[in-house]
Amino acid sequence: MPAVGTDTLANARNRRWLGLRAYDPSLLVWLGAALFLVGLMVFPLGAIFSASLRDQAGLSLRNYVAVFTHDAFLAAIWNTVIISFWVGLLSIILGGLLAWLVTRTDLPWKKAIRALVMASFVTPPFLGAFAWTLLAGPNAGMLNQLYRTLTGSENALFNVFTMHGLIFVMALYSFPYAFSLVANVCDLISSDLEDAAIILGARKLRTAWTITLPLALPALVSGFIIAFLQALSLFGAPAILGLPAGIHTITTQIWTLFHYPPRLDLAAAFSIPLLLATMSLIALQKKILGRRGFSTVGGKGGQRRLVKLGWGRLPVLVLVLGVLALSVFLPYWILLKAAFSRAWAMPLEWSNFTLNNFNFALFQYSDTRAAIFNTFKLGILTATVGTLLATLIAYITNRNLFPGARYLTFFALAPLVIPGIVLAVGLFIVYAQPPIVLYGTIWILFVAYLTKEMPVGFSQAESTFKSIHTELEDASRIIGANRLTSLKDITAPLAKSGLIAAWCFIFIGVIRELSVSILLFAPTSKVVSVVIFDLKEEGQIGAIAVLGILMLAVSFFIVFGVRWMLDRDLVATRE
Amino acid sequence: MATVSLLGLTKKFTDAAAVDALDLEIADGEFVALLGPSGCGKTTTLRLIAGFLQPDSGEIRVGTQVVSSPFILVPPERRSMSMIFQSYAVWPHMTVFQNVAYGLKFKKLSRHEIDRKVVEVLRLVHLDGLKDRYPSELSGGQQQRVALARALVVEPQILLMDEPLSNLDANLREEMRFEIRRLHEEFGITTVYVTHDQAEAMATSDRVAVLNGGRMVQAGRPAEIFDHPRTRFVAEFVGKANILDGRMDGDSRLQLGEGLEIRVARNPDVSLSPGEASVCLRPHNILLTADKSEAQALSSRNYNLFAGVIQRRIYFGESADYTIDLAPYPFTLRVVGPPANLYDKGQRIFALALPEHCVVVSNQ
Repeated sequence: MPAVGTDTLANARNRRWLGLRAYDPSLLVWLGAALFLVGLMVFPLGAIFSASLRDQAGLSLRNYVAVFTHDAFLAAIWNTVIISFWVGLLSIILGGLLAWLVTRTDLPWKKAIRALVMASFVTPPFLGAFAWTLLAGPNAGMLNQLYRTLTGSENALFNVFTMHGLIFVMALYSFPYAFSLVANVCDLISSDLEDAAIILGARKLRTAWTITLPLALPALVSGFIIAFLQALSLFGAPAILGLPAGIHTITTQIWTLFHYPPRLDLAAAFSIPLLLATMSLIALQKKILGRRGFSTVGGKGGQRRLVKLGWGRLPVLVLVLGVLALSVFLPYWILLKAAFSRAWAMPLEWSNFTLNNFNFALFQYSDTRAAIFNTFKLGILTATVGTLLATLIAYITNRNLFPGARYLTFFALAPLVIPGIVLAVGLFIVYAQPPIVLYGTIWILFVAYLTKEMPVGFSQAESTFKSIHTELEDASRIIGANRLTSLKDITAPLAKSGLIAAWCFIFIGVIRELSVSILLFAPTSKVVSVVIFDLKEEGQIGAIAVLGILMLAVSFFIVFGVRWMLDRDLVATRE
Repeated sequence: MATVSLLGLTKKFTDAAAVDALDLEIADGEFVALLGPSGCGKTTTLRLIAGFLQPDSGEIRVGTQVVSSPFILVPPERRSMSMIFQSYAVWPHMTVFQNVAYGLKFKKLSRHEIDRKVVEVLRLVHLDGLKDRYPSELSGGQQQRVALARALVVEPQILLMDEPLSNLDANLREEMRFEIRRLHEEFGITTVYVTHDQAEAMATSDRVAVLNGGRMVQAGRPAEIFDHPRTRFVAEFVGKANILDGRMDGDSRLQLGEGLEIRVARNPDVSLSPGEASVCLRPHNILLTADKSEAQALSSRNYNLFAGVIQRRIYFGESADYTIDLAPYPFTLRVVGPPANLYDKGQRIFALALPEHCVVVSNQ
């Protein structure tokens, strides 16, 4: 070995870097992707912080003072906290109970129930909220009409345009988060643990209460936090249900700050507490789920036997279906009815049937046509670029391709803690002025969606690569394949389904996005969700229903496609 | 000439050295096992040789060419090596044939030639007739054979194996040991074999290198390592051992306690701190007898004599395993005896061992 003197240590370090680059030309690709990702995340967040701390005079805290002393702003914060708390609580009660029933009891029709919970998960909350205005609006709402017909009363039974209504509807579309967390845990608790309690003389319900519940507790708390967060950052449902009653939340308040004359400084300052809240809640949730000591819940889980509901089987089923009727059957039915009738509030009769709404929404009205086109264009574009970027980043972090690579995970997952509306504020500040002006084009929406959907794409890609052992790649390298060949021949075919799934998840995320779009669209770059929001102002119920059904149909089609594909893969490897 | 030289090889992970100034010469056609407990740096060493990792200092040469150093890293695909992985790393989306043929793609061979080579190597590893199966349709042992075939078909200069048998069940493992040795004798490929199983290392290799904490502790023929361990670590890691601590009294006598002195074999290479010393005494090198006159007869024929009481006996069928309490001295001895003549718990017993079986080891 040629002697390397200490005087050439710096030199040696340089040569080492050069050596590395000469050896692996793909390094440029990896570094490029990494930098792009970091930029994507850092610019908007940095912009919010700096805008919140500035006024005409320069650095100041005046924006914060303005935000936190103004009654309307304080009311919005208080409303948000109240709403989020109740949504979280209702979600874990609904989600937890349903999850326990589906995983641990002999309730019939479990598969169908799981599918229906999935359906409420896929339903965009703003669409659900819109459907509930038709169901439980104080005047024309179908349920209120029914009540009047049945009782002859003049009053409305329900009014969805209230705090209660808002909380109720938001919980209907947030409980699936709690459901899936709890169901995962319940799937893993082995009956041995419960049997141990039963042998000691505990009765069924007591066992559920003293053994199953505490084991599921971290999942419940975590589910509460997720639902709470969801409620905190939703824009559509509070805007549709809260604003008519004069109820503002943080997100709707930020939105009004964008109305003329826009107050970006205040919007930025108002975004910071929301951001801090989501950050600390996510950190808390990680801590709860990451704690050891609940290791019994990990692993394969032993034999499971189901709790027999006995005579309660049927009533419980009716109850469960009742809950799902509120989140799925009734809203879907009213949307279908509105789409196919001349007057949505009139009875279903042949004379009331029409296809005009479809004709209007899909062919006549230029706004909706353009919006459908934009939505698909953005969906495909974002999904493609997003999958590519997520794949590169996940590959880098998984294979630790350069020093510090694992910190990229943090950046890729950062949007999880950024509520859509906050992200929109940041992006607006960055891209509405030189040097890069994207505002007014669909490109700002593209950047926004790419940022917002990055965690979804990244997690999917990451888990895909995690399941592909590095040794599979090493095995091809050592017998003659270079890095890129081995990526092409070994990794790509094995990762294919997982990455297609990532594409689909991003696509669905994009086509239903509202809270970012509502601040960043321009007249030429409207998307479906924004048009739905606009049409509501115009009272075009039929057209909204058509667009909503279209959105749902595409989402379901893709969800089932992905499930089919991944199932097929699973079966193939099991054989 | 596919010799492999590791010269002062060092690799650090977050400041702790995984491989620490390792020197090892592997001759052409030699089969060397890297043996050590988990975390001893053996797999890191193997991945350094393969070129998946770059050393922080030191270098690796194949023949006279430097293939790895802090400044040079010949990529794995240009090292004419093959590797067999702990997870087999058989590609699940390719048939057995495609798996085995993959490496030949890079060799510019005719289709006919590839077919011929694959069929031949599959026959060699007893997989003929399975070439159209997918890996998920094969047993663990068969997958391991696919990995072997895939590694051999490219006719590597050097073959690297990373705990290739650790995922197999015990019977299959024993069978594959012989298989690997057979293939080595047939091809004579220079081989580096990583394992934590001393029996596996002994059965397959020409030479064993024992690693601990990233450093080489001892290298030598299997019998040498087993019979003449140089350190306490090697003695205990490779096979069962009684380690008795005492004080050297001259060159060939070890004082174990007041009135208990044994004659020992002193290896001049083993450096000892003054005074303190330990001996390694293998359980199967100890004779047991309950007959006092027989014990005295043997003792006069140069055997070291211990007197004690059987504290525990475990019967294995093929042998019996005793623990003997040497009270009043603070020692116990483990002895493996023939099953024919069993002694009972609590019985007074004499244990005898030849001086050449009492090997002085350094206390590391």
